[in-house]
Amino acid sequence: MEYLRQMGALIWKDVVIELRTRERIAAMGGFTVLVGVLFNYAIDPTVVEPQAIASALIWMTIVFGGMLGLGRTFHLEEEEGAFQGILLSPIPRDALYLGKVVANFILLTAVTILVFGVFTLFFGIQLGGHPLALVGVVLLGILGFVAIGTLFSAMSARTSMGESLLPILVFPLLIPVVIYGVTATSRLFQGLPVSEVDGNIRMLGAFAVVALAVGAGLFRFVVEE
Amino acid sequence: MSKLNRWFLALALLIAFLPELAQAQSGLPDAGALASQNLRGYTHMFIAYFIAWGLILGWVVSIARRLGRVEKALRE
Amino acid sequence: MSGKIRWSGAVLGILGLALVLVVHWQVFYWVSTERTMGVVQRIFYIHVPAAWVAFMAFGIVAVCSAVYLWLEDERLDMAALAAAEGGMLFTSIVLLTGPLWGRVAWGTWWTWEPRLTLTLLLFFIYLGYFLVRSSTENSERGKRFAAVVGIVGALEIPLIHVSVQFFRSLHPEPVVMTPEGPSLPGDMLTTLFTGLAAFTLLFLAFFLFRYGLERMKRALAHRQLAGDGVPLPEGVSS
Repeated sequence: MEYLRQMGALIWKDVVIELRTRERIAAMGGFTVLVGVLFNYAIDPTVVEPQAIASALIWMTIVFGGMLGLGRTFHLEEEEGAFQGILLSPIPRDALYLGKVVANFILLTAVTILVFGVFTLFFGIQLGGHPLALVGVVLLGILGFVAIGTLFSAMSARTSMGESLLPILVFPLLIPVVIYGVTATSRLFQGLPVSEVDGNIRMLGAFAVVALAVGAGLFRFVVEE
Repeated sequence: MSKLNRWFLALALLIAFLPELAQAQSGLPDAGALASQNLRGYTHMFIAYFIAWGLILGWVVSIARRLGRVEKALRE
Repeated sequence: MSGKIRWSGAVLGILGLALVLVVHWQVFYWVSTERTMGVVQRIFYIHVPAAWVAFMAFGIVAVCSAVYLWLEDERLDMAALAAAEGGMLFTSIVLLTGPLWGRVAWGTWWTWEPRLTLTLLLFFIYLGYFLVRSSTENSERGKRFAAVVGIVGALEIPLIHVSVQFFRSLHPEPVVMTPEGPSLPGDMLTTLFTGLAAFTLLFLAFFLFRYGLERMKRALAHRQLAGDGVPLPEGVSS
């Protein structure tokens, strides 16, 4: 109970900071809308139907937009030694990590909703008839993404390369999310039954669980001196 | 690593290349029997072997040079 | 470098080189030519051993990293670093020889074949491993970061493997580790095993030399920092 309360306090702190500054959400939101505009001009509709590649476009936008925000997860804390203060408090390190993951997850969910809005609006994409399965696929996918991304953004924030290191560390590990997420999403967009994406959802869930467990276990080696 | 050891390592690697060198000089082996086969296969195979051993040799040389430098610095 | 490391490295290296000679004789004079792919299939005898060594090196990196985080013994970090450098080299060999084979055998330089893809991703995990080391001013921090990268990579590799397998498979089917026993003809199998043994021994020899080099480098850095006459930390000696 105490654990959850501490985690809740951390999440609340991050959400309030984000709501007041709107730094990351503005950058990520602007990025997604502009990427939608760019994709519009990058795709020749006489050659390829936007609907046919919609799931790929959506996932790539989520991943690239997500990297933009994840890279700055620990930016505020790195300034003026604020993170030392958090580390001095008697919060378990895994609670610290999970709190950051949940805060990032909330942020990325908001961005994902925006991505889906932008793409259905701009390209008239049909989302298929299984909204619940689609939500499950997307949420599990971004949970795994955020779990990996938060761990490595804590790392990259403390290197001299900074955020430019993050994609090199995260993208190779993100292959399962992209493969299972994109195939499941495109199958659902085609209106295939949920049984077709059953295995994908399970694999996305497995990835998220492994990523969260690994991140929670190793986070203290990244932040402690 | 002493200078002698380094020379030994380089020599041994050279010997490892000898079958290929001999092969390259004597032309393609069993040219009659294999004439029907695509000769480009040979080029690709030899390139692959040279890349592999070239990279390994490069690593060995780099380790040897770094060792030499550090050993010199440690002696000073 | 201590005498023990030097001698065991030299012995392993000589054994490895002897086997390299044997495997080259086998590959170029002895083994029969594969019927459908022709002579280019002989790349197999360095391609597969290189891949084996690359994955073995990654196993060493992961195990040493995990125990390093636990015990914080400098020697484990040096071993992980030495293995990672070898792993990077052998993944490069796999990635360069694979397309040369594929060009002739399948008519294409690159395919998104699961094992090839996995090796490419392994290469980038190794790259990240070295980048986190080189981009931290505090070397203790860099060691811990690198260990975390090594562990996370090793734990994710099975998932990546399953997922790329799910995506597509074009590669020749497994010919050695099949449930019915090896399907490769006897002489090819012998050649392959000689290659595997040669590469493993060579890797272990270079690994030991690289490890000894790292030890001397750190001893030197320590001496320059602390001045002469200061006792070295455990595990670091010239």
